Amino acid sequence: MTKKLLEDTLGGFTSSDSSIVVVGSLARQEFTSGSDVDWTLLLDGISHPEHLKVAQEIRKSLKDLDIRQPGREGVFGTIASGHDLIHHIGGQDDTNANTTLRILLLLESDTIGHPDAYERVLRNVLWRYLDEDRGLWLGSGEYKVPRFLFNDVARYWRTMTVDFAYKQRNRQNEGFAIRNLKLRMSRKLLFLAGMVACFECHCGFASKEERQEFYSLKQVQAVIERLRLVLMKPPLEILASALLRNPNLDLQSKQLFDSYDEFLGMLADDTPSCGGQTIREHLDKLPVERLGSDETASRGRDISHRYRDAIGAIFLSDKNELGRMTIEYGVF
Amino acid sequence: MRKIGFSTGAVAYGDFEKALSILALSNLACIELSALRMSEVKILVAAIPHLRLESYSYVSFHAPSSYSAGDEAWLADLLYSNVPETWPIVVHPDAISDATLWKRFGRRVAIENMDRRKPIGRNVRELELVFEKLPDASLCFDLGHSRQCDSSMTDAFLMLTAFQERLVQVHLSEVNSESQHEALSYGAKLAFQQVASLIPDELPIILESRVNFEHIAGEVEIAREALFKIHADIHCYA
Repeated sequence: MTKKLLEDTLGGFTSSDSSIVVVGSLARQEFTSGSDVDWTLLLDGISHPEHLKVAQEIRKSLKDLDIRQPGREGVFGTIASGHDLIHHIGGQDDTNANTTLRILLLLESDTIGHPDAYERVLRNVLWRYLDEDRGLWLGSGEYKVPRFLFNDVARYWRTMTVDFAYKQRNRQNEGFAIRNLKLRMSRKLLFLAGMVACFECHCGFASKEERQEFYSLKQVQAVIERLRLVLMKPPLEILASALLRNPNLDLQSKQLFDSYDEFLGMLADDTPSCGGQTIREHLDKLPVERLGSDETASRGRDISHRYRDAIGAIFLSDKNELGRMTIEYGVF
Repeated sequence: MRKIGFSTGAVAYGDFEKALSILALSNLACIELSALRMSEVKILVAAIPHLRLESYSYVSFHAPSSYSAGDEAWLADLLYSNVPETWPIVVHPDAISDATLWKRFGRRVAIENMDRRKPIGRNVRELELVFEKLPDASLCFDLGHSRQCDSSMTDAFLMLTAFQERLVQVHLSEVNSESQHEALSYGAKLAFQQVASLIPDELPIILESRVNFEHIAGEVEIAREALFKIHADIHCYA
């Protein structure tokens, strides 16, 4: 499926006040035949009663294209308001769904049709994180990392891991193997990309003086643009861009990307190999009791371990700046 | 002290004489003579030699925002020959069909950044395309338009940074969701303050807020507050 097909089919449902935002594998540019399209009609403007009808028509159009999409009651596949994403960061009104949509909007999103509403909301969400981060502007610490944003990205990563356990119980282990593999690989990638994007607020300056000058003016919009240019890229590219500046980490980087590539290869493999099922289908239906003895699950686990080790070697080492920043910000 | 004035079109819709008589009582430093509609331009241009504008240290002229391609050459000739060379002529980029007609104006033409209704001129990328055709043109930066397109003010920051050398005047007002110019709100004031440091003190500020005479002084005061330069509190606490 191409983005062009979606543009041709759905573009007319959008306007300068409403964007169709897609997240997940399509936005990460990792879409495979078994992937579904997680979409939201993001509204940023005057509210119209027709908006729900528009969302229903989007759902119908995707169904006609025979594209898998989210359930009716989930976070996606419906309308969302930019106001909630901008104003409810933290606090009682920042629901799981709101946090999910906000962080995915930042870290792995793309638009179909008019991007205006999406662009406005994205920038205003960043504005919230940056303008209110006194430490970023006034802190005397060595690093210029937006801690408010970083904490929300880290919180979302932990939310995903907790939700994994919640779903495990709620779904009685159904789909455990595939969800576990995705948690270890693509969900972790999302956190890494968010973390690296925050670190990019510190890196990439020619000198310490240039960085100091940049932040001394408290020009929030300059940092918004800096972050937006990073976040425009899919998560793998965000990571690759940062690692390319560290040639001393080439070996570990290669291991990281090789393992991720292998993971994507598994999901994209359409050949019926496991008892007439694709790998994705097989892992989706694999009973949890057979996890330890199943060859495909073992392969997935092995890939995730190599990925984990590479990440550890890069981000938990005090011998490179990315690692030092991770140690500084990652836990405490 | 910033130089602030009004657009005649904001003070009296389509009636520059009435606007001038109202504004004469306000002792403002700048004025923009507005002929937003083609029906107004001929009358206003003809009146230029007779207008009492000595009290203003800065005068600009706003060309019609829309006209047919067939009228463009006539309009360009009219303005080129009759508007004093020292007056910037504000032109909407979407109104231009034939850029060659406007190229000879050089810096006299002040391209205005557009609101959300328009397909061009709303951000750096779109303005760059206009300036490719009019390399010597200046910029009339409309803060209200910019905020309507991007309320985070990032586009405003990027345009003011990219086109700092081209800046010749600023349009200031609230621009609502229907692209109408209104009096400045508290929210607009806060938003504009964020980029005020990028607007040079000497740059003329033209208010487009639609206000009655009794609100002119108050609106000027709010405009001063909106363009107050906030400097980061540079002392470390952490």
